[in-house]
Amino acid sequence: MIGIVVVSHSAALAEAALGLALEMVHGERPRIALAAGTPDGGFGTDAARVAEAIVEVAGDDGVLVLMDLGSAVMSAELAVELLDEPAPRVELSSAPFVEGLVAAVVTAAGGGSLDAVRAEAEGASAAKREHLGDDGDDAAPAPTAAPGTDGDVVTAEVVIVNPVGLHARPAAELAGLLGRLDADVRLANASSGAGPVPGASVLGIISLGVQQGETLRITATGAQARDAVDAVLSAARAGFGELGDGDTESG
Amino acid sequence: MARTSLTVADLVAWTQRFRDLMVEHRAALTELDSAIGDADHGSNMARGMQSAVEKLEQTAPETVGAWGKSVGMTLVSSVGGASGPLYGTFFLRFGASGGDATELDAAALGAALRAGLEGVLARGKAEPGDKTMIDALGPALDAFDAAVDQGLEAAIAAARDAAAAGRDATEPLQARKGRASYLGERSIGHVDPGATSTAYLFDALATATGSAA
Repeated sequence: MIGIVVVSHSAALAEAALGLALEMVHGERPRIALAAGTPDGGFGTDAARVAEAIVEVAGDDGVLVLMDLGSAVMSAELAVELLDEPAPRVELSSAPFVEGLVAAVVTAAGGGSLDAVRAEAEGASAAKREHLGDDGDDAAPAPTAAPGTDGDVVTAEVVIVNPVGLHARPAAELAGLLGRLDADVRLANASSGAGPVPGASVLGIISLGVQQGETLRITATGAQARDAVDAVLSAARAGFGELGDGDTESG
Repeated sequence: MARTSLTVADLVAWTQRFRDLMVEHRAALTELDSAIGDADHGSNMARGMQSAVEKLEQTAPETVGAWGKSVGMTLVSSVGGASGPLYGTFFLRFGASGGDATELDAAALGAALRAGLEGVLARGKAEPGDKTMIDALGPALDAFDAAVDQGLEAAIAAARDAAAAGRDATEPLQARKGRASYLGERSIGHVDPGATSTAYLFDALATATGSAA
């Protein structure tokens, strides 16, 4: 699992943003370190502290650094220069601070690679833009609708039983599951017509807005297409681990 | 007789003099920053330079590199605002340029200052005219280089004068970097606090080295 460093001028802001992001994670959390505010409780950033935080959370999978504005960005860049060799792999993300942190934490908890987590974080404002009808040129590219053509197409549909639908936590579990299989999986909300989106994209899945009782359509190609569809069906019927023992018949 | 080189002790004296100026002008710098920034430049720089001087008093550096690293890392950790990574990078790169040297002649001082400027440019991505410390630092180094043939003290004095002129020239500019850039045209008419502290940096260099002419 990758590590995440949160750089902010404000310790309170960093803690609150992290708290919001961790609401979405119920299993194993990524290693996360905060480098925020000055030691005396004021506003500011400290490149030496950022470098320490990177080392604290670094593992074999690399570290993603999220920043708020101004000196947070410069301190993060300087921190990378201050790291002792051999330095861990570090990526500084241009993602929006709050949305990016939520996406990063959820995607990392789902087992996403550093590149995948960074991409999710940096595309994290797409949902807000879409909601507001603000389709700027810099909007995230729409996921391609057509599945790959290498091999047979496997499709299936399943009714989502989770009480609050396919929200962030089950979306993270689903994306993590599909990310580990050799298959190109597209998911769509058959009830509302939303999608399709790539199955490995947490934010894509969340953007489908699948509510309890709505139908998720799965389309898969590739070597493990059948396994992927079976895995989605099985996980969906089990409520992505969110249902208590007494609830499994409720959907 | 005019001096021809700076020792590490001179660099420490420069640091102390800059600290004195930051403490003395703390309120005025913060006042400038309150017009176009977050009103903390004076207090941040005074605190950072006080920490830097205390660090030098605890562990006396023996080389230019050790001095630059000590001052730079202390600023990085104790300033808080954007001046931390910017001035921190300036002193770190200055020190790296000097390396194991224990004295800097005029050419070596020019090279070290230039390395510091390039570090600030790389870190802040600001260009001349963006209403930042670069608008004092850049002209100071150009003036230093132009006067370097006249000797160390003349070059430092020329750099000090150019830094002050560069500071004054930021008043009519519109900020394009940092939080001041959010103010747009409202940033016009105020001298930039970062350019002001940089002018003091060269003022301190001139007085600490007796190059006040």
